[in-house]
Amino acid sequence: MENYYKRWFRILVIPAVILFVLVILAPFVMGVTYSFTAWRGSYFKGSEHWWGALVGIGNYLKVFRSQKFLSALVYTLKFTLVAVIMKNIVSLGLAMMVKKVERGKGFFRTVYFFPNLLGGLAMGFVWSFIFQNIFSLILFGEESALHIPFLCDMLQDSNKAVFAMAIMATWQSAGYMLLIYLNGLNNIPEDLYEAASIDGASPWQRFRHITMPMLMPAFTIVFFLTLSGSFKMLDENLALTSGNFGTRMLSLQILLSTRETTPANYGMAQAQAVIFFILIAVISIAQVIVTKRKEIEA
Amino acid sequence: MSAKKKLSQTMLYAVLGFVAVYTVFPIYFLFVNSFKSQKEIVASPIALPGSWNLKYLKSAAEQINLLPSVANTLIITVISVALIVLISAVTAWMMVRYKSKGSSFLFLAFTAAMLVPFQSVMYPLVSLMENLGLKNMGGLILMYCGFGLSMTVFLYHGFFKGIPIALEEAAVIDGANIFQMFFKIVFPMVKPITVTAIITNAMWIWNDYLLPFLIIGNNDKKTLTLSLYYAKSLSGQYGNPWELIFPAVLICAVPILVVFIFLQKNIIEGIAAGAVKG
Repeated sequence: MENYYKRWFRILVIPAVILFVLVILAPFVMGVTYSFTAWRGSYFKGSEHWWGALVGIGNYLKVFRSQKFLSALVYTLKFTLVAVIMKNIVSLGLAMMVKKVERGKGFFRTVYFFPNLLGGLAMGFVWSFIFQNIFSLILFGEESALHIPFLCDMLQDSNKAVFAMAIMATWQSAGYMLLIYLNGLNNIPEDLYEAASIDGASPWQRFRHITMPMLMPAFTIVFFLTLSGSFKMLDENLALTSGNFGTRMLSLQILLSTRETTPANYGMAQAQAVIFFILIAVISIAQVIVTKRKEIEA
Repeated sequence: MSAKKKLSQTMLYAVLGFVAVYTVFPIYFLFVNSFKSQKEIVASPIALPGSWNLKYLKSAAEQINLLPSVANTLIITVISVALIVLISAVTAWMMVRYKSKGSSFLFLAFTAAMLVPFQSVMYPLVSLMENLGLKNMGGLILMYCGFGLSMTVFLYHGFFKGIPIALEEAAVIDGANIFQMFFKIVFPMVKPITVTAIITNAMWIWNDYLLPFLIIGNNDKKTLTLSLYYAKSLSGQYGNPWELIFPAVLICAVPILVVFIFLQKNIIEGIAAGAVKG
């Protein structure tokens, strides 16, 4: 069989390899290379080839001096922190409650999940109306029964917009994370809890010493998904605030960066894209290593 | 049931019910406001419409060029998803069955590719595609395949490891060729992951904004999400044209809602199955 598979392996993996090289590897290598050149998109400044337009780390120096890039970076980190916490608390909390109800588990799972299927851009338009008109005027406005200034005009203030975007992103993705947590919770044997109850453990102790360690594999996946998803978010940022009022995140910054100078400085945009990749790779790998280690300890 | 337990169940249902209403609320809201005029939307956004006037849906359908947009999106999504599933399944199967340095290296490459965000390669990718004459629907499909592949290969890889080789050996002895073996024996066995792969990829491709924006832009081959974006930004110079946006968003959401209602059980189980393996 070994030889049989070997023969076919060489033929059958070709399509995947071609796609991988064409769509990911080649653009990646090109991107890293071009980030060191005066790339203008369709040509290189002052040369026919990229090697004639090398500018060393010039693009990177410019990027780190760019106020727009730095503020987008800080804003992305802020948003990621808030969104990851919010998404995890909501989805884990709901998962624990759904597990406990006696009937209707399937119904709740289905209802909570379905916003995932809708587009971030399309629903972002709807949410921008909700924040502007429903939140600010009807529910929490000055004339409503419950006046909460923090929930009014959230999209016109950079700090409040972090929470507005996190609220929408949580609405969209909590149902997905809930499915993963629910799966993890269902894999915890009931008798562990029974034994702990007999020993007189409090609900918090049971959560801390049984649920948390047993859920570590689920934490690894959910943290990975929420971290990278929040860090990369574009559609919701575009639809809710268009990056105005100091709410531009890195994805949008990379996209808009080529539209804000003439001629468009693609070399500099690509330097930002490379930094973006490094950040996301480092954060994701560090997170997986840390949570995996906890899995083993648990 | 004890009184205490009954009380805690009631409270659980109250909280979960509230969250369920909250979750559905934007959809309710989207629905009722798709039948109202701009004035009515702003004056009474939560109420049911005064009359169920289809005029706004009709004009939104015209503005986003409904039929061609749906056709484009459907073609792109169906072909991309079919290719992603087929290529990923075959590749992962081969990588599990034939162990060698090359095969592990390939798996590592696909896993690492999951860390590459689209934004970090999009500019060189678009430039490369333009040079190859692929800045069109065909190129778009190739790009979706390339990006969908890594995650999907990873999913299938985890699943194939648990499938015994004995059936395949028997098939070879019985004289089946590799294609019969794949389509008749191997592929049916990984059906749960195939469902997951179809859903996650279709969801993402159907709703995607950035890739069509970069590749197709504002020409007549627009996808649904792209048409929505342009319809909004072209008519939105003087404030937001809500009487256009709501019905247009509703039109974009309806196909997804219909599919979800019919396949909800498969979708939920498929996602759960994929989450465990991934």
